[in-house]
Amino acid sequence: MPISSQLLRPVSFGFILFTFVLAFLGNLLPWQAALQGLTPDFVALMIVYWALHQPRRIGVGWAFALGLMMDVADGSYLGQHALAYGVIAYLVLARQRQFAIFPFWQQALITLVLLVLSQALMLATRMLLGDAFPGAGYFAGAPIAAVLWTPLSNLMLMHQRKPVSDEL
Amino acid sequence: MHANQPAFFKQGPKPLTRLMVFSALSLVLLISDARLHLLDKLRQQLTVLVYPLQWLATAPIDSAMQASDFLRRQTDLLAENRRLNEERLQASALAIRARALEAENAQLRELNNAAASQPVSRQLVKILYNGRDPFTARLIVDRGGDADIKPGQIVVDHRGVAGQIIRVHPLTSEVRLISDRDHLVPVMVERNQLRTIVYGMGRNQPLEVRYMPASVDIREGDILSTSGVDGIYPAGLPVARVTKVERQNGSAFARIFCVPLAQFEQHSYLLAINGAPAQAPYPETASAPAQASRKKH
Repeated sequence: MPISSQLLRPVSFGFILFTFVLAFLGNLLPWQAALQGLTPDFVALMIVYWALHQPRRIGVGWAFALGLMMDVADGSYLGQHALAYGVIAYLVLARQRQFAIFPFWQQALITLVLLVLSQALMLATRMLLGDAFPGAGYFAGAPIAAVLWTPLSNLMLMHQRKPVSDEL
Repeated sequence: MHANQPAFFKQGPKPLTRLMVFSALSLVLLISDARLHLLDKLRQQLTVLVYPLQWLATAPIDSAMQASDFLRRQTDLLAENRRLNEERLQASALAIRARALEAENAQLRELNNAAASQPVSRQLVKILYNGRDPFTARLIVDRGGDADIKPGQIVVDHRGVAGQIIRVHPLTSEVRLISDRDHLVPVMVERNQLRTIVYGMGRNQPLEVRYMPASVDIREGDILSTSGVDGIYPAGLPVARVTKVERQNGSAFARIFCVPLAQFEQHSYLLAINGAPAQAPYPETASAPAQASRKKH
């Protein structure tokens, strides 16, 4: 169901921060050794989600700051994630009114393209700085993130779909 | 007109403007970090922000593993205990030999009037997680500047060299593994004292010994240990075992592959030790008198 046709409760800023903290934890979990690139980039996924749903709050600046944090946590070059996240946040914002009325499966396709783009940007950055291509498995996380989009959106909207008390 | 807009329409600069600003900022950061290495201070301050998250991500799994250890069957523990006892006996036998050698070495040094070797500091570090960056082979460990870890220290496990510490943050530090691409370790073949260099080829890839002639005397099963000529890795630490030697027709060099002896993928504790003691400066060659006279020390 498109989001625009429902009446939703407002989101508190604390909730947005909370989801970003969870996304960071998802990225930092020590499962990378076993899964080698199969884990989706949760922070990028949350940036796409919030830029789509709260475009007036979460934009390029937030994406940049979160990308810097991710650079530090990863030990990659400062600015690598920041650049990629900033670009995808901008692309969401540029077409936000259109994307927001799409059904979830179409949004999932858009997310797939955006996440692959963010990884391609990072790959290009690293290859320009002299690193080798880490193998096609590097992009495996993006399709998994796209599959996760529909359940994730439903889960996050559940919080906003709670019935309002009749006191009003 | 602009001043009369209601607050709802005031959203600051357009997204495209912001993208331009932040992309430019990212590029500046990238260049100053990757090429000019200016941002280590900033990085250290940001790690303090990230550390609670790192801790939170690893702590529940650690405690779950500890709980499962606690519940492990008695027989497993007995078997492990027996094995550890055997290993301890072997290790102590080696240690006795090492102590004797150390004493002998000290005596020889005194005889030789050499400077006493620096005391070796050992620190147990715990692996927090594999570096997430798929382009490099790095580990993040849980000791940093607060525990006197210094860049250039060597990280080993009970079997061999794992890597070196390249970046120290206040609470964590980064280890570059010997399997990282183009990481070099000067080594010596233990069997015949042949000196060579082991190249890393990327995470989960074998190590390679390059540029050795096809007739070189290296066989499968040879153990390579550090030779100490680089001034980073102290001499005598085991590094890798040769697994495959390919001699191709038409190629001047043999392709020699080896596997690291350290099992840094399999357990969670490593030991950080001091690197090699400072070496005498590289001698200036007599064939470059112009340079030698310009540099005054």
